[in-house]
Amino acid sequence: MIRFLIKRTAQAAVVLLLVSVIVFVLLHQLPGGPARAILGPKATPQAVEHFNHQQGYDRSLPLQYVQYLGRLLTGDLGESYKLNQTVSSLLSDRLPKTLVLTGLAIALAAVLAIPLGILQAVRRGRAADYLLTGLAFLAYATPVFFLGLVLILVFSQRLQLFPAEAPQADTVGGILGDLPGLVLPVVTMALGVIAAFSRYMRSAVLDNLGEEYVRTARAKGQSSARIMARHVLRNALIPLATLLGLYLPTLFSGALVVESMFNYPGMGLLFWNAAQGSDFPVLLGVTLVVGVATVIGSLITDIAYAVLDPRIRSVS
Amino acid sequence: MTDPTASTGSLLLRVDDLHVEIAGRDRTVHALDGVSLDLAPGEALGIVGESGCGKTMTALSVLGLLPGGGRITGGSIDFGGTDLATAVEPVLRGVRGNSIGMVFQDPLTSLNPTMTIGAQVAEPLLLHKGLGKAEAWQRAEEMLRLVGLPTPGERLKNYPHQLSGGMRQRVAIAMALICEPQLLIADEPTTALDVTTQAQILELIDDLRSRLGMALILVTHDLGVIARRVDRVAVMYAGKTVERAGVRTLFAAPRHRYTQALFAALPERAADESQPLATIPGLPPSLVTRPAGCRFAPRCGFATGECRETEPALSEVVPPLPAASRNGDSAPAPGPRTAPHGPATGDTPEGRAGAARRGAHAFACFHPVDPAVDPIAEVVPAAPAAPPSRADETLLALTDVTKDYPLHSNPFALRGRSAAAVVSAVAGVSLTVRRGETFGIVGESGCGKSTLGRLVVGMEEPTRGTVRFADRDIAALDRRALRAHRREVQLMFQDSYASMDPRMRVGAILREPLVIQGIGDRAGQNARIAGLLDDVGLPRGAVDRYPHEFSGGQRQRLGLARALALSPSLVVADEPVSALDVSVQAQILNLMRDLQREKGLAYLFISHDLAVVRHLADTVGVMYLGKLVETGPAASVFDAPLHPYTRGLLDTAEQPDPAAEAAGAPLGGETPSAAHPPSGCRFRTRCPAAQEICARIEPAPAEPAAPGHRVACHFPLVAAAGR
Amino acid sequence: MTATAAGAPAADETAVPTPSLARRTLAVFTRNKLALAGAVVLVALSAFCFLGPLFHPTDQVHTDLGQANLAPGSPGHPLGTTDLGYDMLGRLMTGGRTSLEVGLAAGLLATFIGTVYGSVAGYFGGWLDAAMMRITDAALAIPALFLLVVVAAIVTPSKPVLILIIASVAWLSPARLIRGEALALRSRDYIHAMRLMGGGGARAVFRHIVPNAIGTVVVNATFQIADAILYVAYLSFLGLSIPPPAADWGSMLSAGITYTQVGYWWLIFPPGIAIVLVVAAFNFIGDGLRDAFDVRLQKSGGNR
Repeated sequence: MIRFLIKRTAQAAVVLLLVSVIVFVLLHQLPGGPARAILGPKATPQAVEHFNHQQGYDRSLPLQYVQYLGRLLTGDLGESYKLNQTVSSLLSDRLPKTLVLTGLAIALAAVLAIPLGILQAVRRGRAADYLLTGLAFLAYATPVFFLGLVLILVFSQRLQLFPAEAPQADTVGGILGDLPGLVLPVVTMALGVIAAFSRYMRSAVLDNLGEEYVRTARAKGQSSARIMARHVLRNALIPLATLLGLYLPTLFSGALVVESMFNYPGMGLLFWNAAQGSDFPVLLGVTLVVGVATVIGSLITDIAYAVLDPRIRSVS
Repeated sequence: MTDPTASTGSLLLRVDDLHVEIAGRDRTVHALDGVSLDLAPGEALGIVGESGCGKTMTALSVLGLLPGGGRITGGSIDFGGTDLATAVEPVLRGVRGNSIGMVFQDPLTSLNPTMTIGAQVAEPLLLHKGLGKAEAWQRAEEMLRLVGLPTPGERLKNYPHQLSGGMRQRVAIAMALICEPQLLIADEPTTALDVTTQAQILELIDDLRSRLGMALILVTHDLGVIARRVDRVAVMYAGKTVERAGVRTLFAAPRHRYTQALFAALPERAADESQPLATIPGLPPSLVTRPAGCRFAPRCGFATGECRETEPALSEVVPPLPAASRNGDSAPAPGPRTAPHGPATGDTPEGRAGAARRGAHAFACFHPVDPAVDPIAEVVPAAPAAPPSRADETLLALTDVTKDYPLHSNPFALRGRSAAAVVSAVAGVSLTVRRGETFGIVGESGCGKSTLGRLVVGMEEPTRGTVRFADRDIAALDRRALRAHRREVQLMFQDSYASMDPRMRVGAILREPLVIQGIGDRAGQNARIAGLLDDVGLPRGAVDRYPHEFSGGQRQRLGLARALALSPSLVVADEPVSALDVSVQAQILNLMRDLQREKGLAYLFISHDLAVVRHLADTVGVMYLGKLVETGPAASVFDAPLHPYTRGLLDTAEQPDPAAEAAGAPLGGETPSAAHPPSGCRFRTRCPAAQEICARIEPAPAEPAAPGHRVACHFPLVAAAGR
Repeated sequence: MTATAAGAPAADETAVPTPSLARRTLAVFTRNKLALAGAVVLVALSAFCFLGPLFHPTDQVHTDLGQANLAPGSPGHPLGTTDLGYDMLGRLMTGGRTSLEVGLAAGLLATFIGTVYGSVAGYFGGWLDAAMMRITDAALAIPALFLLVVVAAIVTPSKPVLILIIASVAWLSPARLIRGEALALRSRDYIHAMRLMGGGGARAVFRHIVPNAIGTVVVNATFQIADAILYVAYLSFLGLSIPPPAADWGSMLSAGITYTQVGYWWLIFPPGIAIVLVVAAFNFIGDGLRDAFDVRLQKSGGNR
């Protein structure tokens, strides 16, 4: 277990470093170089030169990278010349809101997907299974924004049940206070996850039902329901942690679309607005932070998996 | 062992003409097609047969645990007055784990990996006895102590993967017995275990049976396992019970031609080592169609037109008086011809006394074995004319060959530290193989025998020591010489299917070695491929087929054909028959022996099966935990072993002979980890003769009894053998 | 009773040779109704996009504000017109061409890059593998859409550029998949057997590993194409696609979003449904192929 933790954390550290390299490389691909991108299109050539010298952009690339890394470690992600705010202050305001949105979507997905997957496994080959399988395929194929549009058209325009705009409160508490406003964004984000997780649960439960330990439990006189609850579920649920880790990038991508559609004041909306306005410090800052969040998130899910699975937990 | 004819009282279990069908996607398998057996309280019944004969399905139907798509379509399973064949699920649940316990083959997969041992063992008590959790766990601890698990209190909190295979099977037994059932069904309970562990588990089951007074159904393919452990035996073939008798009667005088053939195929029963084994040609029939006539007729050397048209019923003969059977050698044996067309058990009056009926020897055969004839001599083929010619030329010589594997392949670990943590798979093995001989390596799993095989063929490089082939050091060969050397040594894999590219046809598979080595043009290669197929007894049309279209035995023939394609002088065969049924195993062993005589091949034959090695090998090496503890001529090693481990292995192996005495003390304990081998003699932790010196000094090989018979032991069994 | 040729399936010499694996794969695939339906939908959609303009020619370059926002069923405009007066049906065809062309090209390119990268890493293993895989880990950690948006914001997309952008992000997951496959295949017994005959690495890769991994590659390619089509749509939706008057299904949806308030549903449903259909079709095909490849390798019941 300790070995595993050390190895996995070291791996994550290497990956984090490489994420910063990728963002650094992107920074140098910007039109007109980093100076133009950071100072904005209207900066004079003199200003650009001065900036390059001052920031060390006239030195060798490896040296620049070390400087860049040093700035990152002090939390300096640059400044948005559009919003006149530091990127880190923008992010510290927006990131929690995005995490709330994704967290809610994951929770909703888990609550629905696990029972649906079990139902499909138990009813395998019958109408309910086929129906849910078909729906899952449909959900896979539906782009998040199209789904969002349909939901807006139906539940907001036609039925007028929920607002088409997400809560606009400044604080996380305020956002959570406006539950009706959260319904459509959260549902839009959750649907794809439900499809993926329920597909996983279905096959995991079926795999486990075919295992010999299930036959042993039956040979003890256990009923099917209790075999499911006591034996199969635990074995099927543990790997779900890993799946969640693998799914994080997709979730963040979904947040980007959902936030821009529903005008939800999170990181995704910030990113989208920055993309529209070529606000490169914000673009790259968000990219970096999302990458870091994904790496840490999957590290946490892997550790959770190791803690939950006795086969990994007890191996020193 | 109770005498079957003496047991009286009512029956505990009676299975009558049971039929089971398993519906698949596009075909229905008639898995059981008339199974009849019965069992008195406290009695032990063995069910034997080859894979696919329905023995496991029979065990599963008793508990209503048939796999998906399976259902009972006829017959009855009377257990203490309840018909389990028609019982509803709640009734079955009340029986399972409560009055009938079951133990499965693989103790790892049959335990829940994420549940503690305690929770799993206590589970039946919570279900059936209404105990509270604390009390159930306490009982679980007692039960674990009873099945011989050390420190049971601590084990309760362990998970299955933390125990060894033998310990897991003990846990599985504890789980099956915790409600003190009247019947224990054990389905191949020792097949996944090593020889020494197998003996311990069988001993444990035996002991618990007499202590708890329960009945036992032991399902196995291994006639050795059954011989000394049960009172009566039912032999199954193609979904039917074909013969039923007391164990001594059956082993002494089998009547059904299938049972006879099974016995004759056993290497243990071979008349002498130079004789080929009797084999059963062909394959068991598909269970999809239900052929008319005797199911065994297509493979039976005694079948007549009657056998192919009419199905013989399972009928009993009154056991002839022992004296009568001895004297009545000229009279034809009383065959079950009384009611050949009737249902299997229909001709038995229900009211007949159980004891007399059950003591009877029943079989379903029109032309049974004459009890006066030696059943094996009758079918064993004649010995070949010429004995093998063996030169004294040394072909392969290993000197102090050692292979260590690093324990953790961690690139971050410091070199100095990681060098210390190694698994010592092979530790200083020296041996020589002469041209044309068979050198057998025996040992339990993890003893390093497979690694040794891989070192010899060059799949792995030794950490230390040299491998010399035909007087050339393999490690010193350059690329071209090594490539040419590959022709000389070939490997025959245990799982031939895995060793053939599933996307290639057999023709391409057999051609590949010739192409790689640039042998012959296309026409020449075709001729060679045809010749190889002839050699291994496969039709030439096989070249257009894919490996998955062949049976296990045929694939092993293909594997042998490919190994022979380059005309090697040495074939390393790693457990080539361990996955095969006994009749097919005999085919492959005979084939290997025939080809050796024809082509002057040498074999390095690696196996855990003492009987197989004894049958095939000229010279034997016994391995324990990476060490070669004893080598010598097969006859000397098996008849007068010098090393206590060899002695223990021989004593532990199950003999297919009910009359065999339980010899000596079977080996106790388990093999230690090769990552931390014991100091001095590696066997000392399990050795009955171990002294203080054994822990300090590693014994050097010596030849205390006869030249050529080497042993590495401070206290070899010379005196005992000579006395 | 002596050792004789075991009579079994193969003993039947009169039988015709077993059909080739490719043929049997196809046979299994066509038995899968969903996969077949996917193939039919795909053919129909392609015909609609590429042949449709022959039967329903429209001007998709010049705007005609006089004809803007006509409802479906208007004369000459069976699906109505867009906010700029383009005929909706015709635009669906041209837009679909962009989506299909870019998706197909990007998906195949990504699969190709990923396959090469993954098999190199998996077959050679060790440090090279570790280094190559950490790079993909890092790139995969940044959500694809974020990466795509940044890249699309740096360069102005055209069709070829869009293909390159999407492929540059999408190759990561097939790389990881194929790497696993190569790693597993490398230690198969038949590779060992081949090496013991004296065969080398090239033979291992090209005669054994690649043919045995081809199933995974082909199946993955269909999923990659589906994903690439979705990426095109996402990028366009976020306003980062090929600039007008060119169109694809994503940008058509994006244009329609402004009019949800006034209920111009015909601007949204046709392109949305088209995307769903084509992506689902590719997924069904991929699923059918996976089953077909699986079945192909199943062992027949022997007598082991």
